[in-house]
Amino acid sequence: MSRIALLASLIYLVILAGVGSLNGAILGLALPLVLYLVAGLWRAPEELKLSAQRTLSAERIAPGGTITVDLKVTNHGEFLEQVLLQDPLPPFLEVIEGSASRLVNLPAHGSLSWSYTVRGRRGAHVFEGLTASAEDHLGLIVRRAFLDTRGQILVLPSVARVRRIAIRPRQTRVYSGVIPAHQGGAGIEFFGLREYQAGDSPHHINWNVSARHSDSGRDVAWQRLYSNEYEQERVADVGIVLDGRRKVNEFGGGRSIFEHSVLATVAVSSALLSEGNRVGLFIFGKRVKWTTPGYGKYQRERIMQDLALAEVGESQNFNSLFIPRRLFPTRSQIIIVSPLSGEDLPLLAGLRLGGYHVMVISPDPVSFESSGLGDRPSIKLATRIARLERELMLRGMRRAGIQVVDWNVAHSFEQTARAALSRPPSFLRAIQRGGLRG
Amino acid sequence: MMTRVFVYASIVASASALAGGLALNGYISPAISIALLGVAWIVAYARRLSWMSAIVFALFTFFAILSLWSKTSPWLAFACMVFSLSAWDLAKFVQRLDLTADKTDSQKMERAHFLRLGLVIGLGAMGFAAATQLRISLTFGGAAILSLLGIWGVSALIYNLRSRE
Repeated sequence: MSRIALLASLIYLVILAGVGSLNGAILGLALPLVLYLVAGLWRAPEELKLSAQRTLSAERIAPGGTITVDLKVTNHGEFLEQVLLQDPLPPFLEVIEGSASRLVNLPAHGSLSWSYTVRGRRGAHVFEGLTASAEDHLGLIVRRAFLDTRGQILVLPSVARVRRIAIRPRQTRVYSGVIPAHQGGAGIEFFGLREYQAGDSPHHINWNVSARHSDSGRDVAWQRLYSNEYEQERVADVGIVLDGRRKVNEFGGGRSIFEHSVLATVAVSSALLSEGNRVGLFIFGKRVKWTTPGYGKYQRERIMQDLALAEVGESQNFNSLFIPRRLFPTRSQIIIVSPLSGEDLPLLAGLRLGGYHVMVISPDPVSFESSGLGDRPSIKLATRIARLERELMLRGMRRAGIQVVDWNVAHSFEQTARAALSRPPSFLRAIQRGGLRG
Repeated sequence: MMTRVFVYASIVASASALAGGLALNGYISPAISIALLGVAWIVAYARRLSWMSAIVFALFTFFAILSLWSKTSPWLAFACMVFSLSAWDLAKFVQRLDLTADKTDSQKMERAHFLRLGLVIGLGAMGFAAATQLRISLTFGGAAILSLLGIWGVSALIYNLRSRE
């Protein structure tokens, strides 16, 4: 019941009781109530003629960063008393300094400015506008207005720095890069031997091999020479698939492993782009979103913006995952970032059979979920069974020729990536192969 | 905050006036019930149950009318009515002030609010004094016409208020 309706009911009640009993004192009780209504009518607020302007100190920030929101409200009408100005905050933004609302008196043709500071979690946070409500002093008449002042803050995902991601797709592009191309030519790593050809650098002649195959009766000029051949290093096409299916990412108690997947995706895409590769991103979550492949810093920015908006969704399985061959020809590299479920193996194996070089980076959901469940014996047993199932699934993937990085999210991604994905320096690789001899 | 203190004081004053008036006339059980209702209002307000204020305000007004039939002092009934009105009004005002953490203009607003509420109560008290002193003999028909006029006036006032919202 509104305040006016309550007052009206009470006034009618008092008047009827007073007249019914012919008692002046009872009728007199109605006077303060009637005067209260008259006071509301006397200084009721006029129509709100307000405009608002919003300025954001930045439109995109790193996680943990803060943004100052400046607001200016101008009154184009008469003096307004008790105007409540509220800037409804988007979900997942919190005010850390100042206030998003003000209760003020606004002079005629005057303006009011104020600011507050917010921070929030990864995502796009959209401000729609301000709500203004003015009341008379007794709160009987309320006038409301919506002041359209849109704004958007983009909180980017966290960035983990990984220096190098060692991938070996069977097909590379023509531009030089750091990925071994399975072709002899100019490079650093020894690839093989071939007969000396005119134009070969004398530094590349393998004198030991040439001496072993020399004809002792002939002049050195007629001797057969052999040159070392080095493996060309080029850039590659890399497609990254981020799995945002709710059923594999979210667990009891509102816990989600998805942020770890996003972090790994940022780290891998940044590392691959900084090495000059052509990288595309496919987000398979609330929305299915393709970031078409591209190079360099601009592409990194596009990927970061799309990852900022990535959310888990109800997609059930990877069956609808389609890798367009126009963008990613067979034999290029596909990296899937997913906690995985048992039914994903056929699809991943299918990609492998289709000729792609597949790598799976899998944040471990078993250790993630069990860490929040306590250490009761039943939990331990269930964890053990789940771990065995996962191990079997990962083994099946390895057997299918898929490179698997099993990431226990209790450790940093940098640590895991350094151990599993970084390429040792060439001298170490040479030592691992059995020496520096060509 | 000063207004909050005034809310508690108004509730206590309202319940005390009516309970005291009833007790003085020998209605002990109703007086205790009114006192308990006052306590319930204080507890509800402290727990921020704002809907309770409207209900208790309506109940206190109803009991104030009944108390006048039971020969309670008219001024005590009037005191119960105006203090419950001010408690109901100030509770709403505090609720609005609490909507923002920024308290820049709040003291100025509190002063203006108290001034207007004081004016309403003062004028109401004068009118009530006049209503208790004046003696007019009316037939039932005359009283009915007057009450119809009063209801029409109040309805016109409410229509005017609602049309401005």
